[in-house]
Order: sequence, then structure tokens, then C-alpha cells
Amino acid sequence: MTTVPKRLAVKLSLARAPQLQPAHIVPIFQRWIQQRTVPGMLIDVIDYKHVPNGPGVLLIADEADYGWDLVGGRAGLRYIRKRALPEDLSAALRLCCAGALAAAQALEAEAPDDIAFDYHALEVSYLDRLRYPNEAQAAAAAQALLATALQEIFGAKPRLQRLHDDPRYLLAFRCVAGRSLADSMPAPALAG
Amino acid sequence: MTSWKERLKDEIPLEMTKLIDTYEAQMSLRRQGKMDEKVFAEARLRKGVYGQRYDNGQRHDGIRAQALAYPSGDIVKGTDTLWDAPGMQRIKIPYGGLSARQLETLSELADEYADGILHITTRQDIQLHYVHIDDTPDLMRRLAAVGITTQEACGNSVRNITACSLAGVCHDEAFDVSPYADAMTQFLLAHDDVQDFGRKFKVAFSGCAGHACGLVHMHDLGLLAQTREAAGELQKGFTVFVGGGLGTVPHQAKILAEFVAPEDLLPLTQAIARVFARLGEKKNRNRARLKFLVAKLGIDEFRGLVEAELESLPQDPRHTAYLDDDADLAYAPAKAGLRLNGAPLPTGFADWYRSNVYRQAQPGYSVVTLHSPLGDFTAQQGFALADIARKYVGDNIRLTVEQNIVLRWVADADLPALCRDLRKIGLGGAHAGTIVDITTCPGTDTCKLGIASSRGLTAELRARLIERINLLPDAVRELKIKVSGCFNSCGQHHVADIGFFGNSRRSGNHKLPHFQVVLGGQWQQNAGSYGLAVGAVPAKAVPEALAALTERYVAERAKDENFQRWVKRLGRKEIKTMLKPFMQLPTFEENADFFSDWGDSRVYTIDDIGVGECAGEVVSLFSMEISKAESTHFEALLALDDGDYRRADERAYRAMLLAARALVRTKFLDVGDDSDRIVNEFRQRFYDTELVYDRFAKGKFARYLFKRHTQAPTRLDEDYAHQIIDETQLFIDNIHSAEQRINGVIVG
Repeated sequence: MTTVPKRLAVKLSLARAPQLQPAHIVPIFQRWIQQRTVPGMLIDVIDYKHVPNGPGVLLIADEADYGWDLVGGRAGLRYIRKRALPEDLSAALRLCCAGALAAAQALEAEAPDDIAFDYHALEVSYLDRLRYPNEAQAAAAAQALLATALQEIFGAKPRLQRLHDDPRYLLAFRCVAGRSLADSMPAPALAG
Repeated sequence: MTSWKERLKDEIPLEMTKLIDTYEAQMSLRRQGKMDEKVFAEARLRKGVYGQRYDNGQRHDGIRAQALAYPSGDIVKGTDTLWDAPGMQRIKIPYGGLSARQLETLSELADEYADGILHITTRQDIQLHYVHIDDTPDLMRRLAAVGITTQEACGNSVRNITACSLAGVCHDEAFDVSPYADAMTQFLLAHDDVQDFGRKFKVAFSGCAGHACGLVHMHDLGLLAQTREAAGELQKGFTVFVGGGLGTVPHQAKILAEFVAPEDLLPLTQAIARVFARLGEKKNRNRARLKFLVAKLGIDEFRGLVEAELESLPQDPRHTAYLDDDADLAYAPAKAGLRLNGAPLPTGFADWYRSNVYRQAQPGYSVVTLHSPLGDFTAQQGFALADIARKYVGDNIRLTVEQNIVLRWVADADLPALCRDLRKIGLGGAHAGTIVDITTCPGTDTCKLGIASSRGLTAELRARLIERINLLPDAVRELKIKVSGCFNSCGQHHVADIGFFGNSRRSGNHKLPHFQVVLGGQWQQNAGSYGLAVGAVPAKAVPEALAALTERYVAERAKDENFQRWVKRLGRKEIKTMLKPFMQLPTFEENADFFSDWGDSRVYTIDDIGVGECAGEVVSLFSMEISKAESTHFEALLALDDGDYRRADERAYRAMLLAARALVRTKFLDVGDDSDRIVNEFRQRFYDTELVYDRFAKGKFARYLFKRHTQAPTRLDEDYAHQIIDETQLFIDNIHSAEQRINGVIVG
């Protein structure tokens, strides 16, 4: 399976319990639109903080959304690439990692409280149940490909763990690397 | 597996497949500029595919208006609606009824194509936001595979048919209206007689007169269940109301018929639809709802027209077939009904039980309301809720017009365990149906018409009220608050004790978001009366204004005086005086916070407001029908490209029939879909009379249809497929020209 999923997301979680309230995120994301802080055609901010363990606050863009994501009870920055994915899975993953990294670092710089992301761990989810069903055989194949792609980024194969085995949920993996994503990638540069 | 279309081809009913394929072909035509943008917009809306705020390519970021340069450039999916701009997908859930499997599919779609959120509307629909139009055909196929359609979820047609979420389990109902709502949904879906309205048409069923139930008084067509005795037998029937509606100017519905037997219900509805299609306003959308026609004619004349229409209505076996189908539409409980048995109760159970549990008419069972703040829940909650439903109630899930979810047929003995399970997924909160359970439309968050942030205000009021809920007197706890982002009433502010709708005012060189306060509307008695607008308050002053109102109500109300009566006694003038301190406008320099809306850090502006699509496009019936022929012709072209010459021939022939039918229906609505009849009517009305004759080619193009209709092809090769596709194109062009000559204009 070498097909690139229709959508691909990478989430970086906070290194410690969140101090940052979702309410603080809305003005930050709105400022990002004004100042074009992160790449992409930024459209709007939507606030779902009233929903427990949900998508939190989303900065909607044409190519990719940036989310202060609370799904699974884990606060973090999620980059969801929706369009214009490269045809190669490694390139697509690299693009998503760069997007998540850029936004996480921008958030660290702007957040009113002292927050820090864990750049050694990331969650990768495949928003495409047709090509990437969350079933054992497909998951094993996807995991092997993902390990190879992440090795190119981190320099060594990370540890991978499938997040859910319930086929209704998106196929997703938690990846823990021996090296920080911030150290593994050059200064974030996103394709538009 | 290459596509959802291929994967689900055996799981989708043929009719649904055709409708979705046609829509997908229309998308292709529109992208190539071969379909008029207004016609496409109406076709899209009738599939529930809406535009969203900022889809005109403009967004004010608080400092300046930014142009949004979408990749597809200037291609539009409607007037000023750019192709790539994220949109909203509305999904019809008839009378709010959902199975566990359907809930799972909706949840899958939310996190794959939208933003991970499912939004419940005040019409028991589900809406997904930030959906790209290119994803909508697959989204529809996945829904169709589990028995859900988006057909006519928007546009100038029959919207989702609603019914009381307690139907079938209520103590006070005459009988369960669910089977009748289901039958009407099936009968009217894509029916020929509901394709030519000037505006949308909303239908609701109610089981009793006294409660809010189906809100029949505020609908175009409201059906109120009744029983009567005749010849010693109890007969079921409906009191039929017409011409109600909210919107800018609310109208209370009028009684059209006191008692209509179930077997007469669908023909009567069809007759009403025909009168509305024939006489309803088509040019001015602001006067095009049925309520204006009923008001203009008067209920007696309208009734006479409907009765005359009934006389000439063709016999149709479907008038009763769906009722027969639904005779066994039973909602069987998943478990035996057992009373609470003394098992340990979770903390706070009593509060939750008081506000969220309704004891069913059936002993040992209850309905549990799941309060979803602002009508939202996540895909993950959807999956978990499907598991909970299977564990306790099976498929007995319904959405409510107050944007909540109910589980019906819960065995009483399961209530403590269910409460615990719901809390684990964040849906076990108490206070459903109380003052904190505020109804809201999307407002400026996503709606093109929004003027103020209804969701922002709702979130703020909810957060403040929930902190004090246990301190509030019962008279305040029980009040209903409903919020709309503009005057269009999607949040149903007219029928709340305390309603708000968004508008704006100026202070110096700046605008401030405001909410008009509407007091004393009646939710009970099926939305029995509408509230009074008393004045506009700056959005940021609304919480304090609300506190002042409720505190004075508690202090001054007479014993057993409810809010409506108190408002009436106090009078609009006195209430306005009370609110006046909250209406004062600061300057920007004095209080800049007032110049931002709730939940929005930008300085307020509505300079980037769009043109709303709620009304749909006013497009002639012919334009809609001929577009189906064009998309079918396009499918023939695709088949030719695939080398599937048999399908190319079948699609081309079908396209000619659809084009002929489109023209016939401008003169004879009841032509039906039988190919012989279409061809005969076309020949007699347009060919023999030479109305379709081209100036030079005369009747040549019409004869392409006659030839193919009488002679199946003897060979099915590429040359033949090319030929019939070319002939079909000429025939469709000929029909367009004829229609323009005969009727003057295409797009009305």
C-alpha cells in the first residue's frame, strides 16, 4: 500500500499537563490570520471548547487545518492536511510534520502561559477509511510504511503503537522517536 | 477498492444511486462552465450542500479585508460562492430517528470530511461544517448505504419532516405520529409536485395540542394528531394547519381541516403542494413562503383551491402504500422494562433524573435526554453513544428540535448505569430542557447571513448560568432561551420565553454587535404564540440584561404567574425602561470590548457578509428538469470514454427522454416517468403542433428521440455511441430553444 491518504494528520502533544486554556487560543489563531504567521490560505477560527475531549479550537485553512486539539484527553497541536498532498507518503508525512512543528513552535512563542511540546512523540492519523481502514492487516501494512517514512525524518525507526483497534476509529499511530522532531527537520518550510 | 462508488454499489438503492450520480455529473458540468451557476446552485442546495460564510472570497480579519484566493480560482458553485470554499452539508434525519449504525456512519463522515463535529439543528437534521464540495458525492453515497439521504435537505422544496421526539412513548399523545411522518417523508421525497416551489416548505407532526411537541403552529404544514368516536369506534386523524412560519415576520398557522383520516393525508398534502407550486410567489423570495399565499388569499379561498385540486388529483397507489408499509413500524424495546431496584445511584443522579429523564407511558421505561451544548457532539462521542445505545436501547435514538439527543425505551433499572456511562463520554450532564439548555443557530460562526455571534453569546450565557443553576428559583430554571444570529429565526427566538436575534448598531465610526430582545414567546401549545421585540442590547451587555430581567421576574411575579403573563402584565414600555441602562453605547475609547463579539477577538465588522442561501435559488421547474437531462448526457459521454457503449446508449436515450419530459411538464405536470407516455405527450403537444420545429431543421431533432424510442440499436460500437450522443446534444439544444420560444425565459 503506497497510496497517500486523502487526508493526513500529525499531532504534537504537550510535554506536561496543559496550562493553556482553550479560550486563550482563539485570539492567537485570529492573530495568525491577521499576521499570516503560519503558511497556507487561512480562512477562519472555530471554537469547540464547549465539547469535552473534542477538536478544541480550529484554525481552518484551505490546504490544512491547525487545531488546538483535545481529542483523547490529550491537549496538543494537530495539523490536518486536507488538500494538495504530495503523491509520495514520505513527502506527505514530512509536510505534515513540518506543518505541526511550525504551528507548535509559533504557539510556544505566543502563548500567555509557559507551554512546551513533546517533540519526541507524535500521533499520525489517516483520515481515509477507504484506503486506510483501521483493520489488522491494513494497519500492519501501514505501520511498516510509516516506520520507514519516519526513519527518513528522525534518522532511526521510531516505536509505533496503533491507537485504536476499533475499526470505526481512524487508523492512527502514536510514534515515539529517540530524537526530537525539532532537531530532525530543518526550519519549518511549508508548501502552500 | 478504488472508490466509495464502486465499494458501495450493491448497498445503495437504485433511485439514490441515480440521484447522486446525476448530482456528480452536474458538478462536472458546472466546473466546465456548461451548467448555469444559478441552476447548479439550486441543484446543489437540493442535495443539502450549502455555502458557508466567507465563501465569497472575502474575510475581514479585524484589521483589513483579506482576499481568499482559492485554488480553483473564479469557478463558482452559485452566485458569489467560490468552488473551493468550505461549505456545510445538511443531512435529513426524518423525525429525528436514528439507528446506532447510522450514528456511526455520520460520525465517520464528520471526522473524515468535516471538522470532527456533528451539529444538531432545530429541524432534527445533522449538519457537518467545513466540507469541500468535491467530497459531497462520496459523503452522500456513504449515507445512502445506511438509509440516509440529503435529498431536498435545502433548497426550495420539502425540508426534513419533524415530529415530537416523544412520539409513541408520551402520556398525552393521541397516538404515535412517527409512522405518518415516515410515510409522508417517503411520499414527498423527490416527488414531482414538490419541485417547483418558490421557497422551502416545512412540515411537522405533533401528537398532542398541549406541549411543544411538533410546533405545528409555526410550520407551513402542521399535522396535529386527534382521535374521535364514530359508530362506536375510535378513529385516528389529524387536524391540518397551514401557513405558519417564523422568519422575519412570524405567522400563526390556520386550520385547513379539522379532521383528516390517515388515508386522506397524503393526497391532501399533494393538493396543498400543487396549489403552492402554482400560485405561490416565485419572483420575490421574501414573499414566497406558503404563509404569504395563505394570508393573501385568506384561509377559506385557499381551502377551496385545495379541495378543487383534490378533485382533479390522479389516483396514486402511493397515497396509501407507505401507510401500509408503516403499519408494522414498531419501536421494540431492546430490554425488558424493569423498575429502579435500589441499586446504588451515582452522585448527582437526582438532579439528572429530574431534568433529563421522562417516564414513558409504558411502565418500566423512560426517555433519557442527552444535553449536547450548542447542539454539538464529536465523532468520538458518536461512536461511544452508538455502543451505549446498543447496550441499553437498540436503535431507539432520536434528535430533538432543541438540539439534543434522546434515548427511548430505557429500562428504568438501567438508569443509574446509563447515567454513569453517559458521563464517561461527556453526555451525562444534567439540566436538559432548563434555562442553560439554550437553542442557537450557527450565526456568524459559519452562516453567510449571520450578523452577531449567536453561538458565542449562547456559550457565554450557558457558562454563567450553569455556575448558578442550583441557586436559581424553579421559575427561572424552567425558562427557555433561544438565540438567532439574525432576524431569520433559525434559532426560533420567537417561541422562547426569552429570545435574542442578532443585529448591529453604530457608535461613532464603529459598529457594535447587538441582540434584539424578544420576550414572552410560547414554546408550549405547539409554539402557541410569538414574543414581542422590546429593544436591542449590545451583545456584551446581554448577560447583565438577562440577569436584571430574571431577577425582576422572580421578585415581582404573582403566585403561579408564568413568564408570558408577567411580560404581558408589565408591558413593552416598562420592560424597555428596565432594559434602557443596558442599551447605552460606549465609545470605542471608553470600552473597546463592546466592539468585539462574544468568542471573537476581532474588532466587529459585517463588511464581509455574504448572500444567504437559506432561501435557495428561484429557478424555474424547466431549468431544474433540463439540467437532469444534461447531466445524464454527460454520463453518456463518460461511458463512451470508458468504452461502455451499451451504457452510453442507455444514458443518451434517457437524457432525451428527460429533456422531452422537461418540456412536457411545463404544460402537463402529471406526465409521469413512463417512456411511452412521455414520447406520446411530447409528440402531440410539441411535435405535431410544430412548436419544437427548428427554423431550418424543422422536426429533425425531435425525430432523433422518436427513432431511438422505437428502435433499439442493432449494433453497439463506438461509432454508434458517438452518433447517439451527438444527436442527444442536438435534441437537448432544440428543447432549450423551444422552451425559450414558448415560455420566454429559462431562469426566473
